Amino acid sequence: MITMLAQGYVVSLLVFSLTLLGSIPLGIVVAHGRLSRFAPIRLITQLYISIIRGTPLMLQMFAVFFMPFYVFGIKTGAGFKFIACIIAFIINYTAYFAEIYRSGIQSMPKGQYEAAQVLGYSRSQTFFRIILPQVIKRILPAMGNEIITLVKDTSLAFSVGVAEMFTESKALVASQRTMVPFMIAAAIYWVTCLLIEFCLSRAEKKLGYYHD
Amino acid sequence: MTNASALPAVSVRNARKSFGDKVVLHDVSLQIMPGEVVSMIGPSGAGKSTLLRCMTLLDRFDSATFSYGDLVVCSPNEQGHAVYSPEGTQESHNRFGIVFQNYNLFPHFTVMQNITDAPIVVQGRSRDEVEAEARELLERVDLTEHANKVPCELSGGQQQRVAIARALAMNPDVIYFDEATSALDPKLTADMQRIIRELASNGMAVGIVTHEMGFAKLVSDRIAFLFDGEIAEEGPAEQVIDHPRDPRTQRFLSQAED
Ligand SMILES: Nc1ncnc2c1ncn2[C@@H]1O[C@H](COP(=O)(O)OP(=O)(O)OP(=O)(O)O)[C@@H](O)[C@H]1O
Ligand SMILES: [Mg+2]
Repeated sequence: MITMLAQGYVVSLLVFSLTLLGSIPLGIVVAHGRLSRFAPIRLITQLYISIIRGTPLMLQMFAVFFMPFYVFGIKTGAGFKFIACIIAFIINYTAYFAEIYRSGIQSMPKGQYEAAQVLGYSRSQTFFRIILPQVIKRILPAMGNEIITLVKDTSLAFSVGVAEMFTESKALVASQRTMVPFMIAAAIYWVTCLLIEFCLSRAEKKLGYYHD
Repeated sequence: MTNASALPAVSVRNARKSFGDKVVLHDVSLQIMPGEVVSMIGPSGAGKSTLLRCMTLLDRFDSATFSYGDLVVCSPNEQGHAVYSPEGTQESHNRFGIVFQNYNLFPHFTVMQNITDAPIVVQGRSRDEVEAEARELLERVDLTEHANKVPCELSGGQQQRVAIARALAMNPDVIYFDEATSALDPKLTADMQRIIRELASNGMAVGIVTHEMGFAKLVSDRIAFLFDGEIAEEGPAEQVIDHPRDPRTQRFLSQAED
């Protein structure tokens, strides 16, 4: 029982970390699209964010999962469900992160850009050296909330048949006729969130060396 | 030799700038020579900030002949529109520095990083060299023991001096002050005057926008009085303040006294 749950947990963690790995940097890109001076790019990213935030993640996962077959007529192998699940998670979380980045970027005072410009920083130097580090401090609490939500959202991978921890615990409950696997799974989710909260508060403290 | 010193550190000629229909700068010309301190004074809305923003390339003149020393930043084409040269625009950031009214220090950097980051990252100079120079600058502005603090741990006057050191670390020929003394008490204002005079005596061209006539008179060699987007009067500091010739200057100064 424990080994099955442990295997499931590893898959859950994999979904969790691959999603963050993809959507944390992609969110920055999309946020820039959202703030672009070029109207078509702005509208496309706005539409993307609006659709993603306005539809269920589970539906998005099915869409990605069935797209190759129904749209392109491609038969996908058994491994595809995991890939589809990761892609859907990244698409979904990128939209949420992009909105958080955008609000953080827009909250930055104009003077920071002007100081950087006058000192001759290029646009990318200004963003990565001056703006982004301050934006990270400002958005950390909001990002933290999303990251905690992601821990629990990984259980939705169950719907396309990815054997993560929730899938495993459900199978165990059915075969062994006991609630214990659910309780263990719940405890593991909770401890995982506690651990993440701890890391976030450490990070917040570390960034607390200044205020503006 | 005479030729080189006759070249202004910054020169703006026939500058025009409008926002929509509103003409904000109207044929403004201003030069600052190396070692000279020039203040721009004038009523609210006269265009001082706009002029300063254009001179620091935060905004662009509609038309002007504008250069830093031998570096041409923009010149008018046949239609009279300012054409900015990309090289001139790029290189100008090594020629001037500005101390903003609210300093705009980088809050996440230490005092030392605020001063050294641009010389290292933008000018590509070696960290050791830049840090050694930064320590000298910190000594000059009396902040040596604060090098490793972040700006929020410093007083307003100290932050302003960090901003001065940050600007000087780029080795500019011209340094601008936006409202140099509006946030300072008399003692700090006196310090400021000393620092500015010291910079000028080392050959720096200094441009100041200020509302404080007393300070302008004490610190400046020359004063330009801006009124409605025009330089109404320009001359030696004492003359413009004590014996203004232009009626607009006279009216402004008599109002400023009460
Ligand atoms: N971005 C802008 N868009 C439109 N109008 C502007 C803009 N910036 C300044 N103006 C206008 O240009 C004129 C000159 O403004 P500016 O800020 O240069 O004056 P100032 O001399 O600095 O005044 P103050 O002493 O109050 O700082 C004002 O009428 C102002 O309303
Ligand atoms: Mg102003």
